[in-house]
Amino acid sequence: MKIGILASLLYYKYQSFINNFFYELGCEIISSGETNKRILDDGVKYCVDEACLPIKVFHGHVYSLRKKSDMIFIPRIMRLHKNEFICPKFCGLPEMIKNSIPDLPPMIQDTLYADSKDGLKNWAFSIGEKITNDKIKIENAFSISLKKQIESKKGIKDKNYKINVALAGHPYNIYDDFLNMNVVKKLNRLNVGVMTEEKLNEEYINRQVLKLYKKPFWTFARYTYGFTSYLAENKLVDGIVYISSFACGIDSVVIELIKDRIGSFPFLILKIDEHTGEAGFDTRIEAFADMLERRKAIEDNISASW
Amino acid sequence: MKITFPHLGNVCFAAKALFNELGIECVVPPPNNKEALEIGTLYSPEEICLPFKIMIGNYIKSIEEGADTIIITGSCGPCRFGEYCELQMNILKKLNKKVDFIVMDVPSDIGIKEMFSRIGKISHSSSKSKKEKIKALYKALKIINMIDDIEADAHYIAGYEKNTGEAKRFLNKCKRDAINSKSADEMINILTEYKRKINSVEIDKQKKPLKIAIIGEIYTIIEPFSNFYIEDKLMDYGVSTKRTLSPSWWVKNTALSPLRINSLDIKKASKEYLPLCIGGHARECIGEAVIAKNEGFDGAIQIFPMGCMPEIVSKAILPTVSKDLNMPIMSLIVDEMTGEAGYLTRIEAFIDLLERRRKSVLFRS
Repeated sequence: MKIGILASLLYYKYQSFINNFFYELGCEIISSGETNKRILDDGVKYCVDEACLPIKVFHGHVYSLRKKSDMIFIPRIMRLHKNEFICPKFCGLPEMIKNSIPDLPPMIQDTLYADSKDGLKNWAFSIGEKITNDKIKIENAFSISLKKQIESKKGIKDKNYKINVALAGHPYNIYDDFLNMNVVKKLNRLNVGVMTEEKLNEEYINRQVLKLYKKPFWTFARYTYGFTSYLAENKLVDGIVYISSFACGIDSVVIELIKDRIGSFPFLILKIDEHTGEAGFDTRIEAFADMLERRKAIEDNISASW
Repeated sequence: MKITFPHLGNVCFAAKALFNELGIECVVPPPNNKEALEIGTLYSPEEICLPFKIMIGNYIKSIEEGADTIIITGSCGPCRFGEYCELQMNILKKLNKKVDFIVMDVPSDIGIKEMFSRIGKISHSSSKSKKEKIKALYKALKIINMIDDIEADAHYIAGYEKNTGEAKRFLNKCKRDAINSKSADEMINILTEYKRKINSVEIDKQKKPLKIAIIGEIYTIIEPFSNFYIEDKLMDYGVSTKRTLSPSWWVKNTALSPLRINSLDIKKASKEYLPLCIGGHARECIGEAVIAKNEGFDGAIQIFPMGCMPEIVSKAILPTVSKDLNMPIMSLIVDEMTGEAGYLTRIEAFIDLLERRRKSVLFRS
């Protein structure tokens, strides 16, 4: 059986699990591959206009696979941690796809509550049963892929750079090099090292969040807020670069919370949408890198707002 | 303690009556207007949704009148509304406004103890006895139910009335009189009086007016300023409208939700299209569209603020609903930049379209 796997959204975080699970079940995996101009254009064409860029691109990925696979894997991910959500659009993703793109093959759209191991296991079994009747095979596939997921090393932490920045944002904005126009390479070329949230121990992140009046109920919000505020307060990096897609509801809140916490610490927000021009993007990154360099040169670190 | 609260449609009637009865001073912010929106836009984050901005405008106007405590409801759902309190506290702190926030979260998220301590903050500053407090709450609930009923009746009757504009006139007068009343009992009397008046408006049963359901995000459909008074406009055109979401519906829905017996009809109707709650009122939006068709409505108008996450999902689903049910549905998106003229044109065009779908175009006098 050919399973269509979409290299978009949370795939960037859980690709080891997804790929290994279907491989062990004996499926042929058809990946939609890296995002390209065509996928983006198809996404913009079929998706509802008001959605954010990652959701539009996801539509494009689905469209590119619709003739190539027997089944498409579009899980409805409700939550990843206890008492937290991801984003309403993730919860309604199968419905959005179903009602926007015509002539789709059957979808695997089981609802996932990954806040307990049982929840995850039940979910994996309900998917596995659609493919094979062999329970032991599913059990094996599940444990192997879970192990591989836990072992997989993700995140970026550059060494040997004089200036370092924290690269924050949702994983699918950071790791999709087409959407963010190779921001990591661009920063590296300007002699700026990058660190992402996966490289910071989760304990530090959770401790930062305790200082808020209300614990953020979005997983992305907790990670990004904890990560950036910890690094800024402890001066572990020289600046923060936040990649945010236009009209992202979560970012509109998190960015304000971060700004409030870090004060005048250098903070660059890069908004991306389907119209983003690369030249303006480059200029902003270069200006930010220049600013960090000059700050470093002045010993007493006078704030940029002076 | 001088309490204030953000506007949400008819909530101000019940809130005013409640705090009057409890003997707590309260400031009702001036009705939502351009000024409130301008103040809100100035201080709010750029990309946050419209309700947030108008609410900030409400707070600042109330603080100017001496309010020092703000009450808002909270939520821990996936919608942005749950984070409002934190951002709003930060904004007011930066503006050097000394105010207390009392956030009414559901007990399942903050714990029952914290919930009682937050309610305690309000009830301690009231000198009334326990019995009187419960009575006050009862009266407030009665008021919110009555005013929502009157409003719904007026919106529906507007399509059938013999003398055009009568229902609207009564509704406006009713609101004006009610907010100026001195006590809860007086307000209830006024409302009873107007309920009778509106129900005795002369109607023409032969008329077959267009019927439109208003669906979408709760704040923008309940708060008339944020949707450019769409219901008033439709009343002027002689269109009957129905809107299920209202403050009284919200109270009932929230009270019943722990038992999972809230809005069963909506859940059932939306099952085919959106079987799960995804936050906000996306499921309600879909369900209401289906129910409206079953009740013989001609069309539905969905309204939501720019960037509203749950409603974007329902907007993606509504075209299929519309096709399956053979009922036109229009989506209107509002934010602080919405121009009224273009907005009006779209409403008028939609009404024209609905009229032409009927066999005779010339039924309206």
